[in-house]
Amino acid sequence: MSLAATTFDLAVSVRALASPLSVALRQPDAIEVRSQPLDFSAEPPTTITLKTPRTQPRVFSFTFPEAPHSAAPARPVKKPAPSLGHIVPPSLPPAEPRQSLTRIRPPGDIIRLEDRLYYVLQPPLETLVQSDALHFPFEPFPYQFQGVAFLYPRYSAVLADEMGLGKTMQAITAIRMLLRSGELRSVLLICPKPLVTNWQREFGLWAPEIPLTIIEGDAVKRRWQWTQEAAPVKIANYELLMRDRDVLDESLAFDLVVLDEAQRIKNTASTTSQIARSIRRSRNWALTGTPIENTPDDLVGIFEFLSPGYLRPGTAPRRIAELVREHILRRTKDMVLTDLPPKMFRDAELDLSPEQRATYEMAENEGVMQLNSMGDQITIQHVFELVLRLKQICNFDPSTGTSSKLERLEADLEEVAASGKKAIVFSQWVKCLEILKHQLRRFGPLEYHGQIPSKHRDGVLKQFKEDKSKHVILMSYGAGSVGLNLQFCEYVFLFDRWWNPAVEDQAVNRAHRIGAAGPVTITRMLSLATIEERINQVLEHKRALFDQIIGQNTAPASVGLSQGEIFGLFNLRSPKGVITPAA
Amino acid sequence: MSDSKSVPCIGFLTVVENAELGLLGGYLLLNATGRPLEFHCTAPVQPSRAQEILYGATLRPYLYGEQIGQTLLARPKLTPLVVCTDHEHVLSARDFSPVPLVLVCQTESARPPAFCLARNQVVAAPHYASDQQAILAAWPIQADHLDLNEPFARIREALEEAQKTARAA
Repeated sequence: MSLAATTFDLAVSVRALASPLSVALRQPDAIEVRSQPLDFSAEPPTTITLKTPRTQPRVFSFTFPEAPHSAAPARPVKKPAPSLGHIVPPSLPPAEPRQSLTRIRPPGDIIRLEDRLYYVLQPPLETLVQSDALHFPFEPFPYQFQGVAFLYPRYSAVLADEMGLGKTMQAITAIRMLLRSGELRSVLLICPKPLVTNWQREFGLWAPEIPLTIIEGDAVKRRWQWTQEAAPVKIANYELLMRDRDVLDESLAFDLVVLDEAQRIKNTASTTSQIARSIRRSRNWALTGTPIENTPDDLVGIFEFLSPGYLRPGTAPRRIAELVREHILRRTKDMVLTDLPPKMFRDAELDLSPEQRATYEMAENEGVMQLNSMGDQITIQHVFELVLRLKQICNFDPSTGTSSKLERLEADLEEVAASGKKAIVFSQWVKCLEILKHQLRRFGPLEYHGQIPSKHRDGVLKQFKEDKSKHVILMSYGAGSVGLNLQFCEYVFLFDRWWNPAVEDQAVNRAHRIGAAGPVTITRMLSLATIEERINQVLEHKRALFDQIIGQNTAPASVGLSQGEIFGLFNLRSPKGVITPAA
Repeated sequence: MSDSKSVPCIGFLTVVENAELGLLGGYLLLNATGRPLEFHCTAPVQPSRAQEILYGATLRPYLYGEQIGQTLLARPKLTPLVVCTDHEHVLSARDFSPVPLVLVCQTESARPPAFCLARNQVVAAPHYASDQQAILAAWPIQADHLDLNEPFARIREALEEAQKTARAA
């Protein structure tokens, strides 16, 4: 290649001016210029090109159900009932931003990335509250937000908070959020009969916009209620499961079934448990303050409802703890409610009255002799009968009616009444409560137990709350220990102790719960040098082991009395040696 | 279902630097109450040596804004009212998208272009000061409670979740 060149003649004539300087410089007359064309015929210089490709990165996209163009719901989405619309909040001052935000985390059994991202990308619950998407009558506690965040993404869950921490509110709020996001359309809540009105009241407080159907009335009415789709939430009691089994066997299906006091189905062989398991559902939650009442197999029974086959009877306790870790959430008051008024235990260890002592010793000696003579024929039932007879003597002497416990109770109730306060007295026997009602009549006692008709019970509670002359309510453990709110009571008396500390805790927590006005004093009555003291010693040991099962996942232990322990109360012996329970 | 264009939504775009993988972009669209509608994320982006040399100081704005930002902003089906970012370099993506783009200030900003949006101070992209008026006019009142910094934490977690799944696969 050659390049064109232009030449210029630079030979210009120069006339030097005569001056001393030009003479000195000896300037030439002309500038000699030579030009030479350039030759570019050689190889061109090498060039290097650096490419900067403008490629677009690959993108992964996810669309979530609340997007209007989402294809997520395969089933037709029903328009929500008008009452599920936006609630106008009261004019509250704007909340201060919280330090910690409660996020929803996907549980381990959510596998699909899209599903996991859906939960990871949810806003903090506190943001939803502030946005008025969820309006609460009271600000929830932080641990309650965490409970809602625990339940929300789970298809199988046990909320096992200690009684009084608001499991009801947490479940209702999680249901509410899932209904609003369209993930649920039908919910069945099953609870003990005495708690139906309590749930109705709580829904009215925490989720007033959700229409409810209470399954009740005659068979025809109930059948119609079961099949109605107008209300997204149905509430039924355990007793109805048996009666309406044929309706439940039909095409009924629920997006979520919640069992309150789920320990009711711990026995997998029971009809109630079988029927509950047969209900068609996508999600299941169990609410119980006592997931393990006696043995780890109680938990197996509950999980047989939540996820059949997930736990097997006889599984090593350590393995059970590993398997259930992601599915159970339990908090105790000590852990989360540092502001709750204290719970003060005052053990009343009493000597039997002379009459009681004489009767007791005779009964025990005779009873033990009789049991010993039975040898291998002895059963747990025989031992129970003796234990119960002795415990009844610890309450009242059968012939004279004297009672050291009653004397103490009267003295304490004088103080309670004088200060205008109210007390609950628990006993496991209705007969005992009837005696107490007569003996304590000057304190205006009311009764609440199995022999009080259901339709009167709410009225009894209302009267107890509102009538200032009624200072004491007499409750059986069975009727009064589950789900009732009596947080206006500051005194609880356990006239006789229950076999299981968990049930006693439930009883105490009728008063010591959120909303309690002040400290709650619990008096546990115990007769010294009797069967009561021996039972108490065994239970104290077991109480320490209960929290380890759920809280710390160490090797669990029974928390009620096992057969061996019951037999051991009397150190029964036969000619063949120590009598043990039959295999 | 409502028309997709009538759902007010707000976008949040961020870029995460991963020492091993490179840059990961995440773009989240939320409704006015903060619930997720769409999420888009990029595969890891690593600049070539040539890019590092040639772009020099302009590499980050190029990668954050033009490569990652531009790609993500074009992806969603929904059109947000505004896109928020927590990286200044992402603002260069405004040149490639009709949607207003603002930088969420991490602290109380003394810079004059900053204006208040929800509970935060934000700054519009350079040369797009007029976006401020458009944003404020269209801003839904239900979104006033939002902390505009909070969704970025969700995006970072989501990117981590996506990477875990990718590694497991």
